[in-house]
Amino acid sequence: MKFTKTVTLASWKASIPVMLGYLVMGFAGGVLLAKETGLGAFWAFFTSATAVSGTLQFLLVDMLKNHTALFTIAILTLSINIRYALYGLPLINRWRHIPIWLKLYMILTLTDETFALEVADNHPDGEDSMTYCFLISMFDHLYWIIGVVAGNIAGQLISFNAKGIDFAMTALFIVILLDQLQTKANRIPALIGLCSAIVGLLVYPANMLIPSIVVGLIALLALRSRLESAMPATEGGADHA
Amino acid sequence: MPELSLSYVWPAVIVMFLVTYAIRGFVFAAFGGSKKPPKVILYLGSVISPAVICMLVVYCFRNTQILSHPHGLPELIATVVCVALHLWRRNPLLSIIISTIIYMIMLQFVFA
Repeated sequence: MKFTKTVTLASWKASIPVMLGYLVMGFAGGVLLAKETGLGAFWAFFTSATAVSGTLQFLLVDMLKNHTALFTIAILTLSINIRYALYGLPLINRWRHIPIWLKLYMILTLTDETFALEVADNHPDGEDSMTYCFLISMFDHLYWIIGVVAGNIAGQLISFNAKGIDFAMTALFIVILLDQLQTKANRIPALIGLCSAIVGLLVYPANMLIPSIVVGLIALLALRSRLESAMPATEGGADHA
Repeated sequence: MPELSLSYVWPAVIVMFLVTYAIRGFVFAAFGGSKKPPKVILYLGSVISPAVICMLVVYCFRNTQILSHPHGLPELIATVVCVALHLWRRNPLLSIIISTIIYMIMLQFVFA
């Protein structure tokens, strides 16, 4: 690890697009937390610093508000964040020489956007790649925390009628889905998700996601050979958010 | 707004944290050597995300009132705006912010 002005500046510059996105999305997640659950800045900080996941930051508001059972929370978190499990694969070798305490931090903060920047690894010539990647992880993590905490404080201070603000979560999922549908290989899995969700809604409307996930997993596994043959060989799990 | 009990919030956010951290660390812990992950895991990792996101979209509409006033119109209009805007500009923040504002205006003023 070698911290120089050049590598710090280069990693910061690379992180600027993520900064804009995280500050605004984090802000929205923070406002939502304040308005829908009444939880304050400490919880905004704690959830954004530990979960470090955009989708979860929005979904957690809904789960807390509805007093979702811990088991259901665990299954839902697992299902929406399972893609992160794949992000380690290309990084195992690159991160081999990173000290364990830094590696533990970089694993904690590995989001879609951070993953994309670190796989690209555009560190300046002569500078240390590990330092560059660590700084990107840290910058992105800080943007996210600052966005969520600032949004939460604004949500508490500014009184406005927030009725309907929870549509932000719906819109977030719609946007992610539309981006995923651009990749052809995602279309059948999405259709399976839609059908499973309707089954889940009919079978157990009070807690539709668990039966939906079970039905979806069975369908995905049953159709594995057909779906795999339709997938390009290089297909990764690197989708957005 | 009913006060959330911290004896519920603490375990809930800790479960989210531990599950998310375990997912991220799993590959490093299990395949840090030279073992290759089983193909079925790689397969599920690549197909589960679009399936679950689609379920979450349906989940968001689970309480929409279709049979009584306002017949799901605020949801329908906001969704059409979100989809159209996103297909046009492909700017996630723009699509989310504009469609949310439109939804709020409709709930608070148009269909109030």
